[in-house]
Amino acid sequence: MTQMNADNITTNRRQFLSAALAGLSQKGDKQVTGGFVFESQNLGHLIRDRKAFQQPAHREKVPVVIVGGGMAGLSAAWRFGKRGFKDYVLLEMEPDAGGNARWGENEVSRYPWAAHYVPVPNKSSVLVRELFEELGLFRDGRWDERHLCHSPQERLFLHGRWQEGLEPEIAATKNDHDQYKAFEQRIAEFRDSGQFTVPLELKAQLSVLDQINFRDWLKQNKFTSPYLNWYADYSCRDDYGSASEETSAWAGIHYFASREHEEKGPLTWPEGNGWIAKRLIEKAAGHIRKNEMVRRIERAGTSWRVVTSKTIYDADAVVFAAPSFLSSYLIEGGDKFEGFEYSPWLTANLTLDRMPEEKGSELAWDNVIYGSPSLGYVVATHQSVASRINRSVWTYYLPLASEAPAVARKRLLGMDWGTWKEYILNDLERAHPSIRQCVSRIDMFRNGHAMVRPVPGFLGNASRLQAAKGGGGLEFANSDVSGISIFEQAQYRGVLAADRVLRRVGRR
Amino acid sequence: MAVVLFISVFLISACGLIYELIAGALASYLLGDSILQFSTVIGAYLFAMGIGSWLSRFLGKGLVARFITIELMVGLVGGFSSAILFAAFAFTDGFRLLLYVIVTIIGILVGLEIPLLMRILKERFKFGDLVSNVLTFDYLGALGASLLFPIVLVPKLGMVRSAMLFGLVNAGVALWSTYIFRSQLGRLAALRGACAAVILTLGVGMVFADRITEAADNGIYADDVILAKTTKYQRIVLTKWKDDLRLFLSSHLQFSSRDEYRYHEALVHPGLASLGGARHVLVLGGGDGLAVREILKYPQIEAITLVDLDDQMTDLFTKHPVLSGLNLKSLSSPKVKVINADAFPWLEQDRSYYDFVVIDFPDPTNFSLGKLYTTAFYRLVEKHLTRDGLCVVQSTSPLFARSSFWTIAETLKQTGLKTWPYHLYVPSFGEWGFVLAGHGEFQYPVDTLPKGLRFLDAKSLPVMFQFPEDMKPVAVEPNRLNDQVLVRTYDREWRDIAR
Repeated sequence: MTQMNADNITTNRRQFLSAALAGLSQKGDKQVTGGFVFESQNLGHLIRDRKAFQQPAHREKVPVVIVGGGMAGLSAAWRFGKRGFKDYVLLEMEPDAGGNARWGENEVSRYPWAAHYVPVPNKSSVLVRELFEELGLFRDGRWDERHLCHSPQERLFLHGRWQEGLEPEIAATKNDHDQYKAFEQRIAEFRDSGQFTVPLELKAQLSVLDQINFRDWLKQNKFTSPYLNWYADYSCRDDYGSASEETSAWAGIHYFASREHEEKGPLTWPEGNGWIAKRLIEKAAGHIRKNEMVRRIERAGTSWRVVTSKTIYDADAVVFAAPSFLSSYLIEGGDKFEGFEYSPWLTANLTLDRMPEEKGSELAWDNVIYGSPSLGYVVATHQSVASRINRSVWTYYLPLASEAPAVARKRLLGMDWGTWKEYILNDLERAHPSIRQCVSRIDMFRNGHAMVRPVPGFLGNASRLQAAKGGGGLEFANSDVSGISIFEQAQYRGVLAADRVLRRVGRR
Repeated sequence: MAVVLFISVFLISACGLIYELIAGALASYLLGDSILQFSTVIGAYLFAMGIGSWLSRFLGKGLVARFITIELMVGLVGGFSSAILFAAFAFTDGFRLLLYVIVTIIGILVGLEIPLLMRILKERFKFGDLVSNVLTFDYLGALGASLLFPIVLVPKLGMVRSAMLFGLVNAGVALWSTYIFRSQLGRLAALRGACAAVILTLGVGMVFADRITEAADNGIYADDVILAKTTKYQRIVLTKWKDDLRLFLSSHLQFSSRDEYRYHEALVHPGLASLGGARHVLVLGGGDGLAVREILKYPQIEAITLVDLDDQMTDLFTKHPVLSGLNLKSLSSPKVKVINADAFPWLEQDRSYYDFVVIDFPDPTNFSLGKLYTTAFYRLVEKHLTRDGLCVVQSTSPLFARSSFWTIAETLKQTGLKTWPYHLYVPSFGEWGFVLAGHGEFQYPVDTLPKGLRFLDAKSLPVMFQFPEDMKPVAVEPNRLNDQVLVRTYDREWRDIAR
């Protein structure tokens, strides 16, 4: 979908119109404050450009170093804790651990900065169930409904009004409905085939479906309904940050076919997956070292030397849980990770002092605008049990999926806060004409490498398979090694890396 | 000069058609049957125009002054036609009569306009050109008006304001004519003064059009509105007819003073009278204090906590003389503590136990209210019940919304509580239901009902727990936060019976 260009034009036209109408509106627009958060691109570029740095004086011997405090790193730490292994440190470059599960909080609500839900895990997702039982989400044979997404879960803004659910209903033809049904049928067959599992490593094998993109697969299978194609594309952008023509058909199908829900979900929290991250961080208390950026990793005989801005660690083994492509800058002679592409994302948290007017079905948790380049917004206060919500925080998600990642990244970092603010408000204004009178603050997170893209061929990607195999005392743990950036994969890879490391250092 | 004159024709023609359209549309909107309404309105209007044309022959001298007077009259009557008709519908029985009277008056006046104008202009133009031009602009005006009306006027201005706007146009044409024809006019100042007065009147009308509509809306309640208040949460309207007071919250009937005793006696006494040792009672919702009035009939009750979202509601029922008379000043009792809060979060932070909990929320018409009918909410209530405690839930109609009623019962059951559903007839509501729930056992009260009840007695009380064939239990799923089946069921069931 190349909607970006068209959207720029409408942006200008809207700006012109809104400027012309500004004098006529009774209530003026609110003053919107805010800015960018976690601006760590410059830190990242230090690594990319291999900038010279001062060798730290402090030296420390520690059996295991975990690099990166996202879900993978925290899950490795969780596994260590469960196995009673305490001789490790977890190095986090940012002021706070959490990675893509980081969260924020203001006077209105806690809110997510990226990942914000986990589907109710199948029986095959053993580790996820183990963790969730430990966290009290699953008790007495039942998922706690407080943590399951409350009704109404989803709605779609289509042809001027909100409808319940994401399957387009308004103006859908019989042909559209027939195709939805046929698509569901195909997905059910794929699900029954058992090859689409979470974690995908349980069953994934080379497949012809991985040789083509999802859009072509839909076309080849006579799925021509524009509504269905929109939904498929939306799903790819939602889970992978890439358009359907940039996504492996295998991955596109995995999104739909990997889950058989035993309970209406997903599991979600005001702060998104920050709820999980916070608990994992508490469990790893004392091991996490924040604001400590790894600058180089060197092999030293059979062990490893991890050099940060503060300390030189001599370690027997390393769990590399940061995005894998970074290792090629940090490790001398490290793998290049050919074919790894990462989607740039913009996430914005909008603080609303009052709720805007709207037409159609009630405010849902996930609110999607048909035809928008964004994914719409998620309501942080949705899980509140109060009957009256007067103020809220909305998390707006925009995967920059319409152009090559490098180009999109440039645009993401090149546009200033004021321009992004207009972009976001113009997008939301289609569904909420009075949004500008409601929003008082917009904070934004520009993430240049938010998640790996499962592009066609990712299942057979040689670097990926090499990294997944592991060995040699440095274990890759990031979910990008699986090719799919979701919580379950991050946890799976983190635990797997932890187990391998434990074997190496002689603990089982 | 010629163009200016024909623009006047265009404008007055447009005005004439707008009034006709407004009368037709209003009649269709308020009375229904649009074919009948439009046909009769157009027929009456055209016939009245014929009368006007015929009457024009009797007007002799001072044609211009008469034309200006007619314009002002059309402006006034036409301009206020829609406001008058709205008010007539809301406050009188004479809407239909007034409709045709107004249509006839406007029709006659409009019928006078064109013949008069042609006679005024006949000296200035050749007859053939005059007829041709006047009729051309007349029909053009009609086209303009008929397009403007549905596309711009009704959606943007509404009917009341649209009529007034065109009244202003008529008055404007009148004022303008005092300049164009000043050579043929005496008493210029008086005429212009009249024009200014009409323009001012219509202008004020435009400004206050909102209030007129609102007043008329209030009139749509069947009875006299004796109190209307818009709070942060809802619109509270109290109506009175003879000795019947009715309370509406956001246009949903909450009670009628003629039969609310049936509802509130049935809500409170079966449960509370069966609990000899009850001391502490919690009421969720019920800001009208009527359930509290019933609870206060038990002298052993030590404390009643009432939690209602809307402070203006509880204030009204504490202080307003008529309303606090209804609840016998229950909310001012020293035993009663009123808390204005959102019930679910309030109960989450509350640490007390209660012997009896009355749950009297509005029906689950949306997902926000539906949260108060979920397993999660009832589990929370269950945690606040003493060992022998009971709670009772207002559960909509087991007859009109049978699946909804049994869904609420099933949802309570999911928390491990035992349930005892019952029902009664409340004339202003119809057949209504409650569900009683508790950890232990429930026994029909025999001699513990308070004295002086108007509806309940020990002998008829057990009958309420019998459900005849058309209200018998149906198999339903419980209502949960992540799957609010109740809201969908409720919406479907009430839509099926609503007319």
